[in-house]
Amino acid sequence: MVWYKSWLDTRWRFLIGFAILLVLACGVIVNYSLSASLLPGLANQPVDTSTTAGRVLGELIRIEQTYRGFVWGQWWRQNLLQDATLLAVILGSGGVISNSKGGLFTLSLPASRHEWVATRAATGLGEFFILAMVPSLAIPLLSPLIGQHYSITDVLAHGLCIFVSAAVFYSLAFLLSTVFHDIWRPLLIAIAVACVVGYGEMIFQIDGLFRVMAGRHYFESGSLPWIGLTSSAAVSVALLYGAAMNVARKDF
Amino acid sequence: MNDLVAIDIADLHKRYSGGVDALRGLTLRVPTGSIFGFLGKNGAGKTTTIKVLLGMARPTSGDVRVFGLRAADPDASVSIRLRTGFVSEDQDLYDAMTVQDLIRFTAGFYPRWRADLEARYLRSFDLPPGRKVKTLSRGTRTKLALLLALCRSADLLVLDEPMSGLDPAVREEVLQSLVRHVADEGATVFLSSHQLADIDQIADHVAIIDRGHALVCGSLDDLRDRYRRIQIVFDADAPALSFRTPGVIRTHRQGRVLTVLASGAADAVAAEARAADAVSVDIMPLTLKEIFLESVNTSMNAEN
Repeated sequence: MVWYKSWLDTRWRFLIGFAILLVLACGVIVNYSLSASLLPGLANQPVDTSTTAGRVLGELIRIEQTYRGFVWGQWWRQNLLQDATLLAVILGSGGVISNSKGGLFTLSLPASRHEWVATRAATGLGEFFILAMVPSLAIPLLSPLIGQHYSITDVLAHGLCIFVSAAVFYSLAFLLSTVFHDIWRPLLIAIAVACVVGYGEMIFQIDGLFRVMAGRHYFESGSLPWIGLTSSAAVSVALLYGAAMNVARKDF
Repeated sequence: MNDLVAIDIADLHKRYSGGVDALRGLTLRVPTGSIFGFLGKNGAGKTTTIKVLLGMARPTSGDVRVFGLRAADPDASVSIRLRTGFVSEDQDLYDAMTVQDLIRFTAGFYPRWRADLEARYLRSFDLPPGRKVKTLSRGTRTKLALLLALCRSADLLVLDEPMSGLDPAVREEVLQSLVRHVADEGATVFLSSHQLADIDQIADHVAIIDRGHALVCGSLDDLRDRYRRIQIVFDADAPALSFRTPGVIRTHRQGRVLTVLASGAADAVAAEARAADAVSVDIMPLTLKEIFLESVNTSMNAEN
């Protein structure tokens, strides 16, 4: 029943997120079919790489000359990275046992606070794992329709990078939801933190969380960024532990 | 602690962050099988006490035991809640669920859920199974909350102002259902309220709390027997008598009349008054409302 309640609390966010990601993943195939003929021509265009934007654009054009590079540049490094960050925050927000409607009823039921928190955290992480993995499978499944091949192994590896790294923002939103009683402050603060981290990494060219999330290391070398993944997982565990402790000591 | 006491609260203090002292040394015992009226003004500490009982708030100090289990212990608290039905003041339920879904959801937590009682109360409370909880009127929400509390075979029912905001007809229906349930099934009822008439109607034990501590606690019959108003009339202005008899709570002089509120030993007070040349001495019982008001007012005067 605790699982059922957690599912009820998060199901619409999960299902809407799933539908959006599925449509966007299919969009990658459509985009490639429309722009494939233009990509070789772009490679010959001069790009001013003295600026950050020019450098990013030049790299993007170079990488997207292959289908694998196009999918990485469009999907894993851009669309899914941004959308997964946002969805992680949305799934993590909303309160575990809130002071709002139904909170006292929840607390009056014979389940421990730890059980509620652990179940809610696991439900959200499970849903986020599905979001990170399953919609992207549309790419290898649909690629043959445009005469291309995309490896399922790549989907699983990139999906793992997205899941583990973006789980940091899920956990941050989750922790903030145990501090604030409304849904908006955890959501906005976690998004603000994600923006600061993302732009900071881009401007100062730091190999940080978003680089791990994009799976650049895997794309370039074929091996997973284990140090980054382990560090991200450790941060997530610390944030979730903080959330559990916060709920345990809280008065309602 | 034994089976005769369902709730045992000893010197309970609760200070919220921000320095608000909600409970200041509350001590009370709720006998098993009693209908215990928990009376107090708004802000007296009733809801905080209930939250501590159910593990929703942590005591700052003191000992709280329900069925002999420490309420502050998280594992024991789950066991307590397994045997306790709770109705909150604002009928805090899941608005997005239908009545039937919420019943099924709640039943899933309780192995001793009584399907026969569920069917009976669905019928007698005229609850619409397919309706969303958020569309229910306040009275219907209260009945649904009561059904959820009664059908779990609870040994203890904790009801926090369940009748507030209800019209007299629904209030009477809820009270009668509660009394009938307790008579049929047997349970201890801890009924928090500032509706004195409700408590007077169904409770057999009461506690009156004010500013976080108990002013009065005991069986309602004992309280009624113990508390007396003694009206003493003199043939001139009433003197400022100083009574030696213990139990004099308050005295009030007005013209030739001296009114004494006494807790026990009313006859001894009357004897002292006669010895002071009183013209007449009348001893009158107090209603629960009078006991409540006198206790709270005396407490306020003492604090001020």
